[in-house]
Amino acid sequence: MHCKELESVLETEGLGPLPKDARLHLATCGACQAFVADLNSIVSAAKSLPAEVNPPDRIWISLRAQLEAEGLIKEPVEVSERSSWWESFNAWLKPRTFATVTAAALVLAAAIFVTRTPHNSNVNNLDSAKNQPVAETPRPAQPQVTASAPPSSTNAANVPSKGPTPSKAKDLAPSPSESASFTLNQAELDVPNMQLAGNSQVDLALRQNLRTLNAFIAECELHLKQNPQDELAREYLNTAYQQKADLLAAMMESGRGEN
Amino acid sequence: MSVWSFGLLLFAASTAIAASPEHQERHFAVKGHPVVVLQNIVNGRIEVKSSKNPEVVVSSTSIADKVAIDIEQVGDRIDISASSLSSSPLPHEVEANFQLTVPEQTELQLKTQTGLIYVEQVTGDMKLESVAGDVHLKEVSGYIIVKTTGGSLVCTLCSGKLEFASISGGAQVLQPSLTNVNLMTTSGNILYDGDFIRTGLYTMRSGKGLVEVRFSGNDSFDLNARTNLGVVDNQAAAFLKPDTHASRHAASRYAHSLFGTVGQGLAKVELSSYSGTIRILKRN
Repeated sequence: MHCKELESVLETEGLGPLPKDARLHLATCGACQAFVADLNSIVSAAKSLPAEVNPPDRIWISLRAQLEAEGLIKEPVEVSERSSWWESFNAWLKPRTFATVTAAALVLAAAIFVTRTPHNSNVNNLDSAKNQPVAETPRPAQPQVTASAPPSSTNAANVPSKGPTPSKAKDLAPSPSESASFTLNQAELDVPNMQLAGNSQVDLALRQNLRTLNAFIAECELHLKQNPQDELAREYLNTAYQQKADLLAAMMESGRGEN
Repeated sequence: MSVWSFGLLLFAASTAIAASPEHQERHFAVKGHPVVVLQNIVNGRIEVKSSKNPEVVVSSTSIADKVAIDIEQVGDRIDISASSLSSSPLPHEVEANFQLTVPEQTELQLKTQTGLIYVEQVTGDMKLESVAGDVHLKEVSGYIIVKTTGGSLVCTLCSGKLEFASISGGAQVLQPSLTNVNLMTTSGNILYDGDFIRTGLYTMRSGKGLVEVRFSGNDSFDLNARTNLGVVDNQAAAFLKPDTHASRHAASRYAHSLFGTVGQGLAKVELSSYSGTIRILKRN
């Protein structure tokens, strides 16, 4: 056997028990001995690496959901697979890396959502513009101190061309709001059972603030369903999503740091 | 006193001694403008004051066998960390309180869970993070970033640039000389009581809380206040002129809004709230 042949044997067979002729060649060839020694050291070094190189499946699920919401992939997310990835979850994760990667994914998701929002609002604007008579184009700002009240609901109802109806806005799928919400809710699933900072005061603060955010998000989402053109509410909703992503990452980091 | 009673007393005393906090103080000589990084993963207060001496003094108080404190100096960077050694500690046991004395020009990165962060008379960029602890700053200057989950900020006589983000914490900015302010909270209240520097940019947003601004008669700024479901309480109508730069604004259809100008409108002030009140006052 020659060196090349031994290399191909190693490629196919790995570093397990080698065939007899390969062992004979290895016993007499210094270059191949050095090569095998290098491989052994790489393998042992790889074994000593923590299992944190690959992010947990949860990240892929979240990203996949996000990509699907973005329309970049078509396959549905298999939510039913949650138990299987959860089983492998504890084996895979390492505390800091998990939190960091999760945070990155959540922030990424939020960022994608935020960057997509203007596009969608443009779509909304375009859509509403199609239905708007010329008289309904944005009025010029009045050069005076204004303290304007919002139109009453009856007034708004009498002005059909103010913007798309909620149902019409809903047709403009995929809704980034829904996908961001889905991604964050996925990340939130584990929090109820997680021991966070091992500190009741911090635990309480984190959970209370999560509740505060959830209530605020729900309020904004409901408002936006009724008033899809409301830019200010959308800004607040975007910010709340980002805050929730940050908070969940902090909660996971706290929980994993203690475990 | 019986032997048993004496024994019990001795045991109680020894337990108390074992659990009593231990004080440490270390000095680190520095040459230029140091960077101090403190990660307090346990509870505790962090207090930072400045001195003229070219050294960083780290004083800490903690229970030795419950909390590990590591301090490392690399050049002018001092890294400090405190972490819990106990798997199921009592809350008061996992506490590390720090008192830092730093040169006036020092960069700070401080992080804690529940204790107060207090910084006084330090000039330099700083990033201060807390979960439930409040952050009090007095006479600090630089690019100041404060992030809390539920803790509040009180910033007195601050200058430079300030960013604050919180979920339920509030912010009070008192007598500032800040050129750039960005305050954001979901449910906390915001109070800005001070001057607006010309060409400065000031953004204050609260989802559900009160946003209150108290300006002086000498100020010069454009005001843009918007709220979706709340109200704009303008108690300074006499000082607000028609918005001289109104063409730049497009009023939201659904928001209660107020646009106006004080003086020449040199600074830009943007206030918003989703469902809270926005109050504008002139200081006496």
